[in-house]
Amino acid sequence: MIFQFTKKLNAANGHFRLEVDAEITEGNLITLYGESGAGKTSILRMLAGLLQPERGYLKVGEEVWYSAEEKINLSPQQRKIGIVFQDYALFPNMTVRQNLEFALYKNQDKRVIAELVDLIELGDLQYRRPETLSGGQKQRVALARALVRRPKLLLLDEPLSALDKAMRDKLQNYILKLHRNFNLTTFLVSHEVKEVFKMSNEVWVLKDGKITSRSTPLSLFSQTDVSGKFKFTGEVIDVEKSDVIFIITILVANNIVKVVADEREASQLSVGDEVLVASKAFNPLIQKIN
Amino acid sequence: MTLVELKVGKYLLKSIVLETPQSAPYLKIDNTINVLFKETEVIIAKGDLTPMSLQNRINGVVSKIERGEILGRLTLDSDIGEIVSLITTSAIDQLILKKGDNVTAMVKTNEIMLSA
Repeated sequence: MIFQFTKKLNAANGHFRLEVDAEITEGNLITLYGESGAGKTSILRMLAGLLQPERGYLKVGEEVWYSAEEKINLSPQQRKIGIVFQDYALFPNMTVRQNLEFALYKNQDKRVIAELVDLIELGDLQYRRPETLSGGQKQRVALARALVRRPKLLLLDEPLSALDKAMRDKLQNYILKLHRNFNLTTFLVSHEVKEVFKMSNEVWVLKDGKITSRSTPLSLFSQTDVSGKFKFTGEVIDVEKSDVIFIITILVANNIVKVVADEREASQLSVGDEVLVASKAFNPLIQKIN
Repeated sequence: MTLVELKVGKYLLKSIVLETPQSAPYLKIDNTINVLFKETEVIIAKGDLTPMSLQNRINGVVSKIERGEILGRLTLDSDIGEIVSLITTSAIDQLILKKGDNVTAMVKTNEIMLSA
């Protein structure tokens, strides 16, 4: 996938020029990270065809969706995209299932609905109306609806920022599952470092309309480069003193790991801290399962 | 793989890392980096050392001993700063360690991590 967009944008402190030029490996999950007004949402809107660049080019797979030069500009409906914003925008007068079915294109195979209901576990909710659902449930429906047309791109503009931590976690897992199952290329706008780590394999920092860096979350957020080859990031969930040492319990992705720490290390850690866990490649044992 | 020699105070410590000077820009002669090792990997010896494979040896004086039920925590004063070693309490007893003792702290080359 290739895109180049140029457009003058207005921001709170005057206007600036959005200029992005990127080539992307399809199948990546990319976080757009940066201060508000840096151009993150504008990029999503240009990918979606909701905002027209002054100049530019967009090619997804073998299809050109936009080319200023060739005067090609597919409408949002013609582009194979799914979008989820912070607000749910579901039809209040339809059930969950009807909301999904409404998104089908003409003569589309309905089996995708069953597949999504199954993947996002909407079975118990499918005959309810949006008003009876919680925020997290509504956002699950919005996510399912965004995928009904089997898009190539999934565009997520802070879709989870209104949800509490537990619900956020759950929704993040659904998004990852869908990203894999539907072979999506996903763009996520997020401000939360933990979310960036969990979700993306690539993070772009945006500043004043320019991509100032493209890297993995680890190399962006960890200040030091440690030579250990066995390294992960996680969240401290417990710090417990045992004898003269401390046992630090850390959530790494979905796994709980425990690390022994001296009091000098432990005194700098508290529950909720984002940490890097590193060991030398020489230490871990490997055992074959089965 | 690279065997890195590190000048730490008067000592020459050695670390094995998987990186090479080509893959890791911090592996450069005269570059200052941080040398890290876990307290649990610090081996303690007292008195004359019989020949042994451990190459990283730092002399120190025991400044504090904390005895836990299973593990003990030794703090050493050395030329290169304070070193903490976590060894079993039974090992502390076996070596009859007490405050003021001269000891040697040792760390295997594969346990030393480098951080830019």
